[in-house]
Amino acid sequence: MATTLEAEYVFGAEDLGSRAKVVKFAVFQRHEGQGAAQEHELVSFEAMMLPHLDAAHNLARWLMRNEQDAQDVVQEAYLRAFKSFSGFHGSNGRAWLLTIVRNTSYTLLKKNRAADLTITFDEEIHASGRESVSPAAILEHAEDAELMKNAMNELPAEFREILTLRHQEELSYQEIGEMLKIPVGTVMSRLARARAKLREYLASQMSQEK
Amino acid sequence: MNCEEIKNLMDAYLDGELDPITSQKVEQHLRDCPKCEQAYEVETAMAHAISRAAPYYKAPPELRDRIQVSLREAIGVTISRGAAAEDPLPVRRPEAVRRGIFFEMPWNWLALAAAIAVAAIVASSFLPRLRQPGPEQFLATQLIASHVRSLMADHLTDVASSDQHTVKPWLDIKLDFAAPVVDLTGDGFPLIGGRLDYLDNHSAAALVYQRRKHFINLFIWPTTPVDGKEQKIVEREGYHLVHWIDGDFTYWAVSDVSVGDLQNFQRSFGKQLAAH
Repeated sequence: MATTLEAEYVFGAEDLGSRAKVVKFAVFQRHEGQGAAQEHELVSFEAMMLPHLDAAHNLARWLMRNEQDAQDVVQEAYLRAFKSFSGFHGSNGRAWLLTIVRNTSYTLLKKNRAADLTITFDEEIHASGRESVSPAAILEHAEDAELMKNAMNELPAEFREILTLRHQEELSYQEIGEMLKIPVGTVMSRLARARAKLREYLASQMSQEK
Repeated sequence: MNCEEIKNLMDAYLDGELDPITSQKVEQHLRDCPKCEQAYEVETAMAHAISRAAPYYKAPPELRDRIQVSLREAIGVTISRGAAAEDPLPVRRPEAVRRGIFFEMPWNWLALAAAIAVAAIVASSFLPRLRQPGPEQFLATQLIASHVRSLMADHLTDVASSDQHTVKPWLDIKLDFAAPVVDLTGDGFPLIGGRLDYLDNHSAAALVYQRRKHFINLFIWPTTPVDGKEQKIVEREGYHLVHWIDGDFTYWAVSDVSVGDLQNFQRSFGKQLAAH
């Protein structure tokens, strides 16, 4: 048993969108056992980070607002994370990974659509009918997933991310502050503004529906 | 505090992020000021609506494959064609990398059997010693591993039912003890199902509850002399574990929800159990 055997993936890369990929194992001989340490590190990296794949994907999906970009971001983020994994000694793997996902998202957002990053938005569109809708009516419609999704997608990226981190990942203000490199007080005020803005957008969507 | 100050603190208040003294001041003001009280109710309902209605985008299965392939490419493992296997690569243990081969090559079964025998001997001689410095830690590792595995391997439940009267008899038949099962839907922790598990050298019941988009694994077994008597909260790798003992049973709740949520879960469980 002097020969080391390894299993590896082979997958048909053609037609990624419409068909399930074929994942295969290939068996081959390894040259001299090089990279064994790297592989070992990869296994522990995957054991620690792959459980947070849904969280990573969800955050990227909200930031990028489309599936293809989100998947590219997550893949790139896992590569980046693996490269700096040896420097990670913290206890909160999820927050660490999400920070990388976030930074990767922003890199791509900046490249693609610089405009998306700023908080400026078309006041005129959203100003209409804001006051004519009662809080009770807004809340009633807030249960509508489609409406909520559309309203959230209209928010600027930094509002989308803070709502995701708080409401879906249920991170504390402190954890969010560390991730975004902002003080806890800023987390508080940004979250408040994000919720207020979201309510406005829900209201404007409802008045458009009428 | 005036209304303007309250308005600024309201989000932090409803998120439970204020220090106790400030929190109490806000509470006092809300009791006295109907206008702020009403604004707070709207705020709270809005926050709940976001948590409930905003879609959570789970990763499609092919993304996991794609990432695992690209990670292997990154460390320069060459890819060549060979025997097919459908399983995505299991990731918990280092030896898992080689599992695909064993399924394909019968001549390796003997080696596998030998390896397991050796591993068993090594484990049985080392485990007791390893456990001595930190049995709690060792158990916590097992509990988290089991929790993670249950979410990863599409093996969350053996019996999937939100009905405690289905889950309990199922578990009773399989286990040599009658694990308590209660439904906590009313408290925001709907029961998803039950599972058998093996932890710390004995079988355990694992009840699976949901908290919004997250899962809670509740492990239950009859208390043994080695189980810690006092209540415990452990935080590791982004997971929280809450331990308590009630009657004859030892409980460990494991999840990535907040400690506060887990403690609420514990309280609800105890309350429902007492009511039965």
